[in-house]
Formats: sequence, structure tokens, C-alpha cells
Amino acid sequence: MSLTDRIAQGLEAGWKVTDATTLTDNQTHEADVVIVGTGAGGGTTAEILAKSGLSVILVEEGRLFYQKDFTMDEHSAYASLYQEGMSRTTQDGAIAILQGRCVGGSTTVNWTSSFRTPDQTLAYWAENFGLENLRPEAMAPWFEGREQRHTVAPWQTPPNVNNDILRQGCEQLGYSWQTIPRNVKGCWNLGYCGVGCPTNAKQGALMTTIPGALDHQARLFHGLRAERLVMDQDRIDHLQASAMAADGITPSGVTVTLKARHFVVAASAIGSPGLLLRSDIPDPHARVGKRSFIHPVNATIAQMPEKVDPFYGAPQSIYSDEFNFKNGVDGPAGFKLEVPPLHPGMSAGVIPGHGPEQIDAMAGLPWTQSVIALMRDGFHPESPGGTVTLRDDGSPVLDYPITDYLWQGLRQAYLTMTEIQFAAGASKVRLVHLDSDWYTSWADARAAINSIAMEPHRVRLFTAHQMGGCSMGADPRTSVVNGFGEHHQVSNLSVHDASVFPTSIGANPQLSIYALAARNSARLAGKLNA
Amino acid sequence: MLDPSAAPSGDTEFARLDRRSFLKSGLGGTLLLATVSATAGLSGCATAPASQLGAVDTRMDASYQFRFLTRDDIELFEALLPAMFGPALPEQPQARRLAVASAIERIDAGIQYFGPGNQQELRQLFDLLTFGFTRVTIARVWSRWPNVSTADANAFLERWRTSGIGLFNNGYIALTKISNVAFYGGRDQWHLSGYPGPPQWAVDALPQFKPA
Repeated sequence: MSLTDRIAQGLEAGWKVTDATTLTDNQTHEADVVIVGTGAGGGTTAEILAKSGLSVILVEEGRLFYQKDFTMDEHSAYASLYQEGMSRTTQDGAIAILQGRCVGGSTTVNWTSSFRTPDQTLAYWAENFGLENLRPEAMAPWFEGREQRHTVAPWQTPPNVNNDILRQGCEQLGYSWQTIPRNVKGCWNLGYCGVGCPTNAKQGALMTTIPGALDHQARLFHGLRAERLVMDQDRIDHLQASAMAADGITPSGVTVTLKARHFVVAASAIGSPGLLLRSDIPDPHARVGKRSFIHPVNATIAQMPEKVDPFYGAPQSIYSDEFNFKNGVDGPAGFKLEVPPLHPGMSAGVIPGHGPEQIDAMAGLPWTQSVIALMRDGFHPESPGGTVTLRDDGSPVLDYPITDYLWQGLRQAYLTMTEIQFAAGASKVRLVHLDSDWYTSWADARAAINSIAMEPHRVRLFTAHQMGGCSMGADPRTSVVNGFGEHHQVSNLSVHDASVFPTSIGANPQLSIYALAARNSARLAGKLNA
Repeated sequence: MLDPSAAPSGDTEFARLDRRSFLKSGLGGTLLLATVSATAGLSGCATAPASQLGAVDTRMDASYQFRFLTRDDIELFEALLPAMFGPALPEQPQARRLAVASAIERIDAGIQYFGPGNQQELRQLFDLLTFGFTRVTIARVWSRWPNVSTADANAFLERWRTSGIGLFNNGYIALTKISNVAFYGGRDQWHLSGYPGPPQWAVDALPQFKPA
């Protein structure tokens, strides 16, 4: 294995990394801070606290995978790097949830899009949730700092055809479009971000903050599931954790007890509320798990006269915010337009169908282009979000009802996406919907979309962005943590991930998580070192 | 497996239920599936993973150990996959049989990582489809799966795809999604989607592809 690999080097140099699947004895460890989760929030927190001189233990349920494992293969990546082997859905099965489960969390498998939290979103939070200190001017230095840490810059290479078609369609119609800032360094423009970056170009947590923390004596347990935070009086005394067996998914029976002065939960917008619920953490106003947001995504696919090869090249490089805030921050549902990469397995799983029609659709993959709309949920009384609860076995599950307000936004998005694809020269377009035919003109598509059933399961829906469930806010009656991620009721507990967002972001959330976690970790380090 | 004519005495009572409205409620559906699952298990239907079966029984690669799919599940997929992928499967019988078998193995391999929650839901779905009484009354598939023609398998998939009942749509998506990902995502089927695989120049240049 190449010794230029950051992880291989660190392991060789003696990083304190324990693969919990190899543990045979119950054990107890202690540190200043225990951090649950190693994604955007946990990684950032670990590096900042460790660099400040605090002793840190990181807990990750997924496994440590790195360059040697990243072989541009869909099947092995979906099985090992994603929650529930890529089969996670909302409770009724109607929305597919794409979410990482590995060291680095979703930043290890995301498509590298790195946006600041929109100003409108931060202003809405200030006005509606008492988060005055998170206004754009206050957050700007934190975004700038994290953009440097993760090497975020607008993509300089020409977009691949898949993305360029979104640009062309917007140009034709007079809709605004921009180039996406990406967190990459020396990117080879291959297109395999979603199965683990094979070249170490992606500057997610795995290549930045996790190594940074481990260089500063942090200790990482992977293959270790945080089961329960155990209280002693009004403080958390320890975390009870279960080691996974060799398969990485079933507990081996070995338990690990982790004691600390302070606990940071950063286990995602599904995992963090799940852990707090399992732990019976004080929740006097029953807020944990409420207001969960997901940027519900619908999609259309087009057949283009030219070759698209949508499996190659930087997966996301062009976006349009033309319709994101067009009707005001709290008007009819706005949406961001982006493009997904299309590899054969993913495409076959996303495009619903069977038999000759499906065979034809797959045969057309090299000429297939797709646009996705990310609905900005949580900004309207008719978009209250979903709820995370626990299954009988204690695992978290998200119930997310789609309201009429969101159906209207999704129908509008179908209209806009098909309009853009035809404007860019598509020969035919279909919706990712159980009832959709291929349409050969926008007039036909528009007529069909205006009457097509907008119902769960029939409309194929997805989410790659999970937010909320441990909402931040000034008022403890309506939120779980304050604007610094500090738990309202338990003094030695903080939440540092996307679960604190009181609405969705209105953009891919990784940079929002990095920046808020950095700000709140700097404050936490100051307090704990005082 | 129970023969529909020998169904328990609940049969007539069940038939009087307004099936459509019952299934429309997610709770009703879940309860029904759970009941079927328990009944199937109690009545001695094959719910043990097929790993305990020999290669002759499963007609699969002897080296593959099934972890989740039972012998009944395998028969279900042997009937459904030709309806999903028929013209894309090799025509030569032996090659065709192998392509179906390896897709079923990949389905089983994928499900291993689904976690207990989704595995339980799939178990309920597969039990509903393979348990004679519910196969007939709910899926409206009259014969056991090994005797179901490709046309009838296709008709079943179409009924569930176009049904006004969300639970059936969800079942259709579950069956086709795991099959589509396993089939089209497999290296042997990449040619069906014109996917050349990872760029060779990158494979040649990257350390993880070099022999250790």
C-alpha cells in the first residue's frame, strides 16, 4: 500500500486507533471529552478539542475504510460505507435515505458540494428561533476558516456533460446558474466520490480533521456503537457502547464504557436523536426527534442526442438557485437544482421499473442525463418536518409525512426540471415516478405532470441530507440545545452535527456543519480548558 | 407449504374483510404481514437461510453460503428475475441459469448489510409472497413460484406497480430495487448499460489496484 496515504501513514506511525470488532474483553476508558460520531461535526470537534490540549475519544459505529478499500466498486461500497447497506428509508419506505456509515460519516461518500448556509436561512433562524448570533456576518469568518481547512473552491475544470446540460438549459431559459464549490485537492475528475474517493483528493473529515485529531493524541474506536449515555444525577457519567462483531453490523457482546467530563453527540440527524431517546436524556418539552428535515429530492431523467457518460467526471459542478428563494424564504416550497452521478447499480435502483422498459432505460445510460430538485423544507407552517423514533430494538427510524405544501413544490420541480432538459436539447424526458411515460416535448410532459398522482411510493423520493431532530434555539420549550449546541438541561452534553439545524439549510449541508461545529468547539475548548 | 384449499378456517372470515381498506392503513398492513410471518414460521415453511441446503438443492454455486434468503425466497426470485430481466439474460440455458443464480446470490449478499429493521420487513414481504394462503389471496398468484410462468410473474409485478394501494407499490419497489441494483450493478452486466467500468488509466495509476 502506498505510504503517501494519510491514513496508512498515521496507522504506521502509531495513531491510537482501535478496531472494536477485534476486542474480546469488556473495558473502560476515560478522556476529557467523548465524541460520538466521526462525520462533519464529530471530526471537526475532535480536531479542535485535541489541538487545544484536551484528551479526546472518538466513537464510530461504522468502520475505518480508506484508500486501500476505495476501488470504485458500487456493490462493496454500498454494503460497507452506507447506513443499512444503502437500504435505509423513511418509516413507510417512501423515501430512500442515502447516508454514510463509516469513519468520516457522509463526508466520505458525499459528492463534495460545499455551500455556505444561505443568508436567508441564517436570517430566518435569527428571526424565528432567537439565533441572533448566527447571522451571516457573524458566521462569515467560520465559513472562511472551514473553506480553508477543507480546501473549498469553485470547480475550475469544465463541468462534465451531465452537469453542463443543466447549465445549458438554464442559459436557454434565462435561469440563473452557478459553479459549485467543491472540497477537493488535486482531484482527478473521475466521478467516484460516492463510493469513497480513490485518490484521496476529497477533503472530507477522513482526510482532514480525523487525521488532525489523531495526530494530536485523540483515540478512535471504530466498529463501536454508542448505545446509551448514562446519567448520574444531573450530569452524564459515561457512555455505554457495544463492539460490533466481525461483520460490522451485529454486536459481539463486548461492551466498552467511556467516561468523560463532557460528551459531544455528532451521530447525525437520525443517530443523534436516536441516542438521546435511547438514553432517556431529560426532554421536558418532548423536543428530541421532532422537526427532522431532509431536503426531499425528486428527479427527472432525459435522453440526450449526445453522449453524456453520466458515470464519469466530478459528479456535481453546476447548480441553479433560480427557484430556491424566489417566492420568499417562507413562501411556496423553494428548491435547489443539481445533478446526480449515474452509475449502473445506483441508476437501476433509482429508476423504478422492470422488464423490457427497464432494459431499454438502462441501455440508454450513456446518453442519460438527470436533474434533481432539493426541496427546502422547514420554513413554512405546512412543512413541520418528520419525527425520529425508536424501533423495538432501539434503532432509530424517521417518519416523514409529505404534506400538500411539499407535493406542490415537488410538482413544480418536475415542471421546471423537464423544461430545462428539453431546453437543453433532450430528445425525450421522463419523471422518476411509477406512472411516468417518456415524453417527447415539454408540452406533453407539462400536461402529464399537471395531472400525475403526487402520492407516496408513486413519486420516487430521496434524501442525502438529514437535518434537525435536536433543534437549536433560544427557547428551551421549543428546542433541545442553544445556539452553541449546548444541551438546555444537561450541562456536560453538547450536540455538534446537522441535527441542531432548526430548518433545512437550502443547500448541501456539509459546510454548514463544519462551520457551526468549529465555532461551537472553539467555545467548548475554551470552557473546558478554563 | 400450505395448499390454498387447505387454508385455515380463518379463510372465510378473512375473505369477508374489505381487503383494500384494511391494507390501505399502514398499521393493518404491518399487522397482517407480521401475522403471516409468524404463521409461516410456525407452519414449518422454510424460513431458515438456504445456507443449510446443499448446492444441488439450491442449484447455485456450491461455494456461496446464503445468509438470508430461504429456499422459498430463492424460488420466488427464480420466478421473478426472468420477468424483470428476460431479454437481457443470456439465451443459452446454462448461461441464463448462472446469470439468474449469481444475481440471487448478490441479492442475498446485499441484504446481509441491511440491518435488522429492514431485514425484518423483507422477511415479512417474502413470507407473504411464498406462503400459499397469502400468495393466493393477496398477491393473486395461483401456483407455487416454481410453476409460475414469466408472463404471470410479469402480471404480478404490474399489479403491484399500478396498484392504488401504497403497500403494494412499496412491495414492488422493494422487489425491483434490490434485484435491479444486484443485477445491473454487477460487473458481468455492466455492458447492458454501456458502462465501461472505472477508467483504466486511473486503475493503472492507483496503488490500491497494484498487487500487494
